[in-house]
Amino acid sequence: MSDLERELEEELHRVLDPIAALPIPPRRSVQNRSAARALFGGAGAALSLKLLTGVAAAAAAVTVAGAATTGSLNPSDWGQQVSQRVGECKAQLADGHHGIGDCVSSFAKQHGAVVASDARHHGNGNGNSNANGNAGGNSNGNANGHAKDKTHPTPRTQSGAAPTSDPEPVDPVGAHQPVNISPRP
Amino acid sequence: MQSIEGTPDAAEGARYEPGSEADFERLYRDMYRRIFGTLIVLLRDRATAEDCAQETFERAYRSWAGWRPDAPVEAWLHRIAVNVAISNGRRQRLRQAGELIRRLGRPDPGPDPSKLAERSDLIDALRKLPTRQAAALVLRHFHGYSNREIAAALGVPEQTVASRLAAARKQLQVVLGR
Repeated sequence: MSDLERELEEELHRVLDPIAALPIPPRRSVQNRSAARALFGGAGAALSLKLLTGVAAAAAAVTVAGAATTGSLNPSDWGQQVSQRVGECKAQLADGHHGIGDCVSSFAKQHGAVVASDARHHGNGNGNSNANGNAGGNSNGNANGHAKDKTHPTPRTQSGAAPTSDPEPVDPVGAHQPVNISPRP
Repeated sequence: MQSIEGTPDAAEGARYEPGSEADFERLYRDMYRRIFGTLIVLLRDRATAEDCAQETFERAYRSWAGWRPDAPVEAWLHRIAVNVAISNGRRQRLRQAGELIRRLGRPDPGPDPSKLAERSDLIDALRKLPTRQAAALVLRHFHGYSNREIAAALGVPEQTVASRLAAARKQLQVVLGR
C-alpha cells in the first residue's frame, strides 16, 4: 500500500467514522414524494408545462381574435363594440323573429372589409395573405374554426387580422364608416 | 429467502427476501450509514448526502419486489447511490449555471461554510475527481471492497475497476500537487 493510499484510508475513516456513528434518520416515505414528483418532476413536469403553455396560447388566441375583430388590442375596445352591437341588433329585431347572429355577423364582416381596404390603401395589396402570415396562425385558426359551423352558411369575417400586421399601425376603429344595418327580412 | 455471499452482511448472516417490507426496513437500517458515508464523500455537503441517501433507498424500494440477488445487496445499493450522486451532480451544475447567470456582475459569495461537510484537503481533492473514480476509491479504501465487489457495485468489469482506481490515484496526486 502506497503512502497516498494509507493516508486516504486514514483520512476517510477520520472524517467518516464520526458521521457514520450518527443516528439513522427515519426512512422517507415513497408515497409522500410521489405526488409532488408526478406534478413537478419528470413526465409530470413536462405535462404541467404543456398545460400551462396551452392555457397561455388559448389566452393569446382569444386576445388576438378580439383584436382582429376590432382592430385594437385593448379588450375593452372590442368588448364594448360587440356589446353595443348586440344591443342594437336586439333592439332592431322584428317581432316574432329570433336570432341576431346575421346582424352581428354583418357588422364583423363590414369591419373586416374596411380593415382590408385600409391595408391595401397603405400599399399592402395582399392584405389578407399578409395577415395570415404575420398575424399568427393561432388567431386565424381559432377565429375561423369557431366560425366554421356547417349549420350557419352565413359568410364569416376574413379573419380581420390585417390591421394588426400593418407596418404603419392606424386605429381602424376610428376610421370606420358608419355601419349600415339592414334589418333581417 | 436469499443468502448474500461475499458481503459484510452475509458474514453476519443477514438475509433479505425481495419484496418483503420488513426486510427492506432491516436493509435500510443495516446499510444506511454505509451508503451515507459513500455519498458524503462524493457530494458537497451533508444535507445533500442525506437527501441522496434517501433517494437511493426510494429507488431501491421501487425495485425491491423485482430485486434478484445476482450481486450482493450492498453492491446493488451502492450502484444506485453512485447513479443518484451523478444525477445530483448534473442538477447541481445546471443550478450553478443558472446562479452564475443571475449574479453576473456581482461578486461570488462562495459556498456556505455551514453547509460543507467535514473539512479535509484530501476529501476536497477526492470531490474534484469524476464521481465514478471517487466512488471506486471510497469503496476500496473506506468500505474495504475487493475489485470484484467494486465491479459489481459499479456495474463494470474488474479490469475497468483496476484501471479506474489507478487513474483515480494518479489524478488525486495531481490535484493534491504531489
